[in-house]
Amino acid sequence: MNAPVIKARGLRKAYGSKPYGKSVIALDGVDFTVGAGRIVGLMGPNGAGKTTALKAILGLTPFEGELQVLGRDPRVSRDQLMNDVCFIADVAVLPKWLRVRNAIDYVAGVHPRFDRAKAADVLARTEVRRDSRIGELSKGMITQLHLALIMAIDARLLVLDEPTLGLDLLYRRTFYEALLNDYFDHETTILVTTHQVEEVEHLLTDVLLINHGRIVLDAAVDQLPNRFVQLVTTAAQLPAARALKPIYERELFGRHALIYDGCDPAELQPLGELRTPSIADLFVASMQGVRQ
Amino acid sequence: MNAQAFKTLVTRELWEHRSLVWAPVVTAVLLVVGTMLSAQGTGSVQIDLDGRESSFFMALSSDPKVSGELFGVWTSSLIIPQAFVGFLVIFFYLLDCLYAERKDRSILFWKSLPVSDEATVLSKGLTALIVVPVWVWLLSLVSGLLVFGIVAMKVSGTPLAPLGEFHPFVWLTTQVVLLQNLLLAALWYAPIVGYLLVASAFAPRSPLVWTILPPVLLVTAEKIVFNTSLVGGFIAHRLSGFFEHFGGMLLREGDQVASPAAAAVIGDAYQGLSAVSVLTEADLWLGLPVAAVLFWGAARLRRWRDAG
Repeated sequence: MNAPVIKARGLRKAYGSKPYGKSVIALDGVDFTVGAGRIVGLMGPNGAGKTTALKAILGLTPFEGELQVLGRDPRVSRDQLMNDVCFIADVAVLPKWLRVRNAIDYVAGVHPRFDRAKAADVLARTEVRRDSRIGELSKGMITQLHLALIMAIDARLLVLDEPTLGLDLLYRRTFYEALLNDYFDHETTILVTTHQVEEVEHLLTDVLLINHGRIVLDAAVDQLPNRFVQLVTTAAQLPAARALKPIYERELFGRHALIYDGCDPAELQPLGELRTPSIADLFVASMQGVRQ
Repeated sequence: MNAQAFKTLVTRELWEHRSLVWAPVVTAVLLVVGTMLSAQGTGSVQIDLDGRESSFFMALSSDPKVSGELFGVWTSSLIIPQAFVGFLVIFFYLLDCLYAERKDRSILFWKSLPVSDEATVLSKGLTALIVVPVWVWLLSLVSGLLVFGIVAMKVSGTPLAPLGEFHPFVWLTTQVVLLQNLLLAALWYAPIVGYLLVASAFAPRSPLVWTILPPVLLVTAEKIVFNTSLVGGFIAHRLSGFFEHFGGMLLREGDQVASPAAAAVIGDAYQGLSAVSVLTEADLWLGLPVAAVLFWGAARLRRWRDAG
């Protein structure tokens, strides 16, 4: 149980490395480890390398470096890996021509760890009708169906890539509630990418922030208060505050908010109000750095 | 991958490509309904009895062997239109089957399940080579019996009554031979199916163009550079070679179909287990490793091709 679920060392991926073409580096030697039972948010701006990292983990794309998922190399054994890994790429990938009941039949037919009764049970609580084709369902209903299928699989790792993209607020909220209440059992590991940071920050146990193909922050959420502190101060205190080397700074209604990494709160205390920055704050801080 | 899971994969193909199931059914129904209507429409069966035809039907009614052979030919030849429709839907199915899933990105869903690319490609290939042909054969068997029944009712009590006589042994033999030929055709055409799967898995868009263009370019280039047509000949042999073996036995040049002799030839062709001549053909067996490589190639393409 203590063996890491995902272990990446020097994970690297470049697209379009042709002699004359421009090669884009999506992942630039990334190291990270995901432990069992964690809920990890892999976050970054568009094009940061999130999806490439997920594709590598799921065995959907070749890569360089070392990557072990549940002890397997996804390049070699994607199909065996999928016995223990579930993933929702985004809601648009369920084929439109498939009927709801056939979707259940199909997963039941190919997945040895699918519990048909459980899927039916989850689905019964929604408005999704079994005779409908997926093309006839709303985006929110397709998500409910996909979630019902996933929840009925006894998996060890669940990977979610922008699972709520294009959903309205109501469905987004219920998606994560269902995930947390009915699915998460402290043994399953969840890896979720999103750029809607606020939406997931209360449920994560770990954050991985990625930018330009590199990990810029890798921390457990419960360690964040020990490490990061946000100071809200006035213009008069700004030079003193800046002297303590903030990693990020912004101005808000004439007041200044500065974020520090590993700075002693005792030193900051006299300069203004202190609080723990939210993951969203850290996200922005990591992506933009100090803006003078 | 157990048998149950593989069956699910094949069933999935039929859910997606319903024309594989329904186009042959519609063809069979049209044949039966068409026979019914024409039997209804004409007050009697019209046959222009000039000298040759009258002697033909005389022979038919007097010689049970000839009438049995003719029976075998016409009940089994009903499979021809059905096989043609089957061929068309299979062709377009193969073009689409590894392309559409990339286009609508549903490949990401299929790949989120523990199914290997090899099993997926194999399920598609076998759907095209075995499942649909056997379905067409079953339908032609049923529709053949129905058409025969309609005709038998129509001709009973007329001079053509021998046409309405059922020959159980001939019928059974021709059905077995037809099925056996379909399975042999599966072996013969496996490389073509493999090629279509590769084209479907590779095509960035328009798999039809990507299927037709490479051989056309190859043939043209060969003609221009070497002024030969080996590639064209090779492809033509693979496409028509199967029929050369069977067609040669079906109709000999110069034979008139409407003669007892021709009917006997045709009947022999169906009754004799013609498999032997194809099974001794080296090309049949040489095609199989090629098919295996192409199937493997299609699976590799599906494995690593980016679905955007």
